[in-house]
Amino acid sequence: MTSRRDFLRTASAVALAAGVARPFRAWAADLSAVSVPGKDGMIVRSYRFLDLETPVEFMTEWLTPVNHFFVRNHMFEPAKVDASKWKLTIGGQVEKPIVFTLADLEKVPVHSVTNAMECAGNGRTLQNPKVPGIQWGKGAVGNAKFSGPSLKVLLEKARVKDTGKHVMFRGLDEVPGKVPPFVRSIPLEKAIDADTLVATHMNGAALTQHHGFPARVITPGWAGAASCKWLTEITVLDKPAEGNFMSPGYRMPNAPVKPDEAVKPEDTHSVTGLTVKSLIAAPSDTAKLRPGKQEIKGVAWAGEADITKVEISTDGGSSWNLTELGKDHAKYAWRLWSYAWKPAKSGDYVILSRATDSQGRIQPEAAVWNPSGYLYNAYDQVKVHVQA
Amino acid sequence: MFRLSAGVLTVALICALGIAGAASSPNEQLPAGAMQEKASAACLTCHEARIILQQRLGKPAWTREMDKMVKWGAVVDPQDRDALIDYFSANFGPDQPAYVATKSSGAPVMKSRSKPKH
Ligand code: HEC
Repeated sequence: MTSRRDFLRTASAVALAAGVARPFRAWAADLSAVSVPGKDGMIVRSYRFLDLETPVEFMTEWLTPVNHFFVRNHMFEPAKVDASKWKLTIGGQVEKPIVFTLADLEKVPVHSVTNAMECAGNGRTLQNPKVPGIQWGKGAVGNAKFSGPSLKVLLEKARVKDTGKHVMFRGLDEVPGKVPPFVRSIPLEKAIDADTLVATHMNGAALTQHHGFPARVITPGWAGAASCKWLTEITVLDKPAEGNFMSPGYRMPNAPVKPDEAVKPEDTHSVTGLTVKSLIAAPSDTAKLRPGKQEIKGVAWAGEADITKVEISTDGGSSWNLTELGKDHAKYAWRLWSYAWKPAKSGDYVILSRATDSQGRIQPEAAVWNPSGYLYNAYDQVKVHVQA
Repeated sequence: MFRLSAGVLTVALICALGIAGAASSPNEQLPAGAMQEKASAACLTCHEARIILQQRLGKPAWTREMDKMVKWGAVVDPQDRDALIDYFSANFGPDQPAYVATKSSGAPVMKSRSKPKH
């Protein structure tokens, strides 16, 4: 919807009309919503390029419906791809470079993975001091079932050489000006994990345009940037890919740094697997509640590890209570949780949530500040007021 | 004089519907000020203004952003660089109140007159 072509067509008209639109919007703001067909009630972090966040209140289902799944674009989406003309090439350090059409992919056995996908920058705006980048609140995360061939099966057809150690992806995103293209690589070990996919389907339906139609990578348990959309080119390399989105992009300091401290590239590492994290979907922050039984509920995920418990504090962290975990679970998926709470008396409450995973990682009280605002995972918190 | 093109009429119509509660102009604008025009010309060709409006950065960070965007293709007269950095630092500094984002409506623009579901 926001390809470069559309933009050029309407840019001058928008510029002319903007002067007219602004004074009215001041009083019409509550009523106005930005039209994004197929995406309802999402927080518009950016319209062009399109970046949409899921309100945390939507996170009450195990599978996030596609119309509520967050969207992260670094640049223009390609104009809608003609599926009959789309091609995927595999080249580089392989014995037999190969080209797949969509029909070829459909002949490869389908594998499905339910993956909690989170943008590396989710929660960036909660960091203090603030850092540049999309100012995501809590909702650049969703859980969906992705299906398609295992990348491993496709790589086997191309026969990776012994020199092949990393696998680079390129999508059809339209790159503006001199902006570096969005190309990134993952290590071969992760690429040949049977759960790493070239997905063509999401929650049982063909991928939609915003989610990478007709095919995207799914690197489960890793930050979303490893799951290239509108995939068209796979290149096997002898070393990690280079370029802005490998370095300085998507890198974190190895040890905590102060906000104005310079960080040397060799003292940083690439963002890969996600951390342990929970979010409170209900009640909402600033909610006014009646006394009596309340359900506190939400989601928790831990990248390549499993959630083992989620705890709730209703007294600002002095005491913690175990929640009940939802019955739906799968490797890489998020877990629903809920806790029955009966506030003792009227007043203000700070509700905190904290997850623990199978690697023994515990969601921390404060996240480690870093210059790009990646992997924010402090306790989630909502403040509520209970009144008879 | 210019003649109204179909595009202008369409956008005018979208704005009119926006007033009726259906949809607002999707692309945000930069705030008023001496540098508004130059900033809009240099900075809104690739992305719209939201990506800028939501930042809360000090002057050193705005300086790095400006230089990064110029490297990426933003056309800025070197004589305007400092004034632009001041304009962004003044409007989108760490002490400014948080930017309030709009929500999306899933229906196509022309058919979205029914009440939103959420
Ligand atoms: C040639 C295209 C282009 C122009 C012109 C441009 N930008 Fe950007 N800008 C981008 C891209 C691409 C991104 C997003 C990169 C991403 O999401 O990873 C971006 C992102 C940003 C961000 C978010 C933080 C970040 O670094 O990702 C800010 C702030 C920003 N631009 C400010 C500006 C300003 C100020 C100007 C004018 C001086 C400008 N841009 C002009 C391409 C451009």
